[in-house]
Parts: sequence; structure tokens; C-alpha cells
Amino acid sequence: MTTTASLAPALELSAIDMHYGFVRALDAIDFHVGQGEVVGLLGDNGAGKSTLLKVMSGAHRPTSGEIRVHGADVAFHSPKAATSAGIQMVYQDLALVDAQDISTNLNLGREILRKGPLGWLGFVDQKAQRRRSEAELDRLGVRTAAMTRPVEMLSGGQRQVVALARSAVRVSGDRSGILLLDEPTAALGYEQTQQVQSLIRRMAEQGIAVVIVTHNLALAMDVCDRLVVLNRGRKVADVATTATDNDQVVGWITGARASMFA
Amino acid sequence: MMNPELVSPSEARMPEPGSATPATTERDPLAIRGLIFLRDRGIVVLFALLLVAFSIWANPYFASWNNATLIANAAALTAIYGAGVAVGIICGALDLSIPGTAAVAACVCAKLITQGQPVWLALLAGLLIGVVVGALNGLIALRGFNPIVVTIGMLSITSAAAQLIAGGYSIPGLTKLQFMGTDRYLSIPAPVWIAAGLFLVGTLFLTHTRDGLRLMAVGGNAEAVRRSGVSAERYKVLGFVISGVCAALGGLVTAATVTEASPEASPGIIFTALTAVALAGVPLSGGRGSLPRVLIGALVLATIANGLTIKGINPYWGTGVTGMLLLASLGLEKWVSTSVSRRLVASAQASVHSGTR
Repeated sequence: MTTTASLAPALELSAIDMHYGFVRALDAIDFHVGQGEVVGLLGDNGAGKSTLLKVMSGAHRPTSGEIRVHGADVAFHSPKAATSAGIQMVYQDLALVDAQDISTNLNLGREILRKGPLGWLGFVDQKAQRRRSEAELDRLGVRTAAMTRPVEMLSGGQRQVVALARSAVRVSGDRSGILLLDEPTAALGYEQTQQVQSLIRRMAEQGIAVVIVTHNLALAMDVCDRLVVLNRGRKVADVATTATDNDQVVGWITGARASMFA
Repeated sequence: MMNPELVSPSEARMPEPGSATPATTERDPLAIRGLIFLRDRGIVVLFALLLVAFSIWANPYFASWNNATLIANAAALTAIYGAGVAVGIICGALDLSIPGTAAVAACVCAKLITQGQPVWLALLAGLLIGVVVGALNGLIALRGFNPIVVTIGMLSITSAAAQLIAGGYSIPGLTKLQFMGTDRYLSIPAPVWIAAGLFLVGTLFLTHTRDGLRLMAVGGNAEAVRRSGVSAERYKVLGFVISGVCAALGGLVTAATVTEASPEASPGIIFTALTAVALAGVPLSGGRGSLPRVLIGALVLATIANGLTIKGINPYWGTGVTGMLLLASLGLEKWVSTSVSRRLVASAQASVHSGTR
């Protein structure tokens, strides 16, 4: 997607260094993701992708470097600060409340209270919540199951969809949120992976900037607009998905292929 | 690259969301819903069977209004303590300090009454004891200590405090508390009204209010609550506070029933309550459970004791039967859960291929 060229990127990191003692986990990383863009972050184990993701989500503070959200300089002291800047992270462990239904999970922390005296007592308007969640899922183009179905009775793919949707609805209020996904299709079967992939594309179509960290090269090639490859803490490739192929990317991941920036 | 027809709204959406889901999504889970009904309402079925069985076996003494109020009265205390235990477990912690909290609350209340303080003030002070003990439990447990050990420690502290306040002896003569002990309203004993009120409020709170739903969510998955931007810690403390208040209420009602406050923290309280909670299918892992079922659990215990007593059978049999019921209910729960998940896996596979749900 090239439409983002005129705008400031949704999330931009420049010259990010991250040192653990003498170990350089990240070395002068430049990274950006635009509104409506899906960027895949690839690399072997220990290449630094998880560290970079933690920097983006506010879990780690970089040793040096700058982070900008929609062009404005930010410094994340905590994941909460990143969240309030419009960044949502979806972890591999989905952290859903199994015993509660889909609607309750999607509305946790932003419940709709009933009007009148019952609302003052803290009563939740469960019908309104279900309606809102249904509308939100419709907008994302997914329908998993009845809103009253407990999450524990969903399949793995449906649970992933609920977890993604929970984060998506939290960033899509201002239509310019940023979603960070850690292995979004781990442990999913083929069809379920397809569902999650189309959901990711739909979220991007709504203007959400998406960063996917994954080992799954097929997923990255299918769903991402652009791929960023890390190797031993350095960025070795930053390339549009259409301008590369599987073999090239594998070469960058393993280090067999020379860095684009060397 | 994508497979849009898999989840495009027109395909994946049920024609009418919510109420009128099409046959393809509701047909196969019928067996599942049956199993879930058994899991959720099994205790009701059991209670009904017990009532029928005893009505026949212990005819004509069992099935009378008078005996029903006796059973309800006997169940009321177990139910009040059971509510405390259940809320604690649902929120993610077994509160073992309940007997101690009950004893302190009763002794403080009794002491104030014998010193001539107004009854309402004494009762309020007793309930406040519950709030304080619960908050202490919660705040200590939040520091990363195992809540079971914390509440055992608190059990010892509160027992000692109760003995010290009462001076080692029961405080008698609490006739001013008869209005919530032995008095009857509409021919129903006061403790039954109190338990009914507690369960009504508690059930509405847990299933319909924001704080109640969050409390249950914290017990199920505190991390999920935290990631939703809600302070899970606050709700953990709230769980302990509710548990403490239920314990204090239980202590006050006990004192009112026997018109004296005993400083003995009887551990039997917690185990009877725990039996009712376990019979109600509230798993110790937290996050789920329902108060109305705990109420039925308490009624089942009282019914068994009552029925066997009428038939002149040694009450130890009642304890034994209760234990066997408890183990049987565990077996049932296990069987239902595995059946449900097996059937769900089967139906999920089916639905992926037919493109529905």
C-alpha cells in the first residue's frame, strides 16, 4: 500500500538500540508501519523480533532511539502508555476469560451501563453490549458464534478471532490504531488460519496499522504488504511482499543472503 | 491469497443474529446443551429427587410446611457462609479465615450490646469487622503470598482476637438480636429471609453489574482483565471483602439464633460451607460458579440431615451420604466436561467444512 506515503506513518521507530549488558539485542533499527498497512516482522529465534515488539508495545524501553506515533514523539514508560497512544498488543496466549461469553469478553473494561437508577448501581446493559459487539464484528466481517456463547466453547480459530477483535475494537475508535500481533496463527489449522488472515486484511482496510511477528513465512507472504527481516539485532531487509519471494526471504532470515543495507 | 468467501459477512453471518439462529448452528449442539444443562442444573435435579424420595420414605412427617421451614432455617447459615466461600473461590481464592471472622464479628457485636450500645450500631460494627478482615486478607495476598496460607494466618489471629474480646467465655443474653434469629415473619424464620436477601443481591451483583462481572473475570483470567485496562488487584480485594462480610453476617445470625456469641472459631463452618459450594459445582480453579446453585447445595445438605433424622437414622450416615454425593458430583462434572469438549470438537470440525459458525 503506497497511499500512506503522504501521511506520517502510524508508528515509526528510528535508530532503536537495545542493549542488555554487552549484548546488542537491537542495533540501530529503523521501522515504520503506515495506516492500513500490514507489516511482517521476520527473523530467526534470537534475531530480536520479540524485543522489537516489546519496545513497540511499551513493555521494554529502548537504550536509545526515537518512537513516533502519527508523527508525534512519544516515550513509553509502560504498556499502559502505549495502549493509551492507540497501540494494542495481541499475545500468543490469548488471555480470554473462558467462562464468560463472547460479549462480556469483548466489552471487558468498557462496559455499557444501563440508564437510570439501575445504571447508578452499576448494572450492565447486556443487550446493548451484545448489539455493539455484533456491530463491531460485522464491521470486521466476522461472525464467530452467538454472542452469548462462552469462550471456552469456541474453537481455536474462533478464540483467536475474538482476541483479535477485542484488540481491534479498542484501537479502531479513532480509526488510526496500531495492532501488534505475536504469532496470530500459531496452533491454528489451515481453514482457521485463512479466517484469521482475512480478518487481518479487513482490519487493515479499516485503516488499522498491523505489525505481525511470525515464524510462519507462508502467512507473512500471504497477508503482509511489506516484510522486515531481522538478523542478529540488525535489520537486513525491508521490502514490499510483491517485490520478493520465499527464497530471498529465507536467505535473509538465515543470513545466507547479504543485507539490503550493508 | 485470501479466501474471502470463508468469512465474508454474507457467508459467515447467521441470517438472524441472536435469537433465531439457523438450524445448521443449533442442530448439533442440542446434545451439548443437554449436557450443559445437566452440569448447570444437575444440583436442582438432585434436590428435586431428594425431596420426592424423602416425601415418600418419611411420609407423612417430611412433606409439611413446618418441616420445610425447619430445613430452610437449617440451610440458611450454611448458605450464608457458603456465599462467602463461593465468592472467594469465584474470585480466585479460598478464604479459610471465615470461622474466625464470624467469631470476632459476633463477639464485637455482643460486647457492644452488653455495654448498652444501640443494636444497629453493634450490628454495623460486626459487619465492619468483616470488611476490615477481608481487606487485610486481600491486601496481604496481593503482595504475592498464597491466599490459603494468608487466610489460615488470619484465622488464627481472628480466633485469638475473639477469645480476647470475649474473655474466654461465651457472651450470653443477646435477646435483643431475636428479631434476626428466632423470630418469624410470614411464618418464615428470620435467618431464611436474611439468606434469601443475601443471595438475591449477590446473584444480581455477580451476573448483572459491572463490578460483579469483572470480579468473576478476575477469577477466571486476571491477565485478561489487566490487558483490558482494568485493575485486577482491586477486584481481588473486593472478593475477599465480600467473603469477609458474608462471614461476619453468618457470625451475627448465629449469635442471634442462640442469643449468645461464642468466641470459638469452629472450623466445621468452613467445611460444611465448602461442601455446599462443591456440591453446587463451583470449581476451585475460580472464575465460574453460581450463587443460586450454592443455595440449593446448602438446602441439599439440610434436607439429607433432616430426612434421616425424621427416619431415626444415625446422623453420621448423613455425613457419609453427603461425602458420597460430593464425590459422585465430581465424577459427573468430569464426565460432562469431557463429553462437551469432545462433542464441540466434532461439531467445530463439521462446521468449518460446511462454512457455518
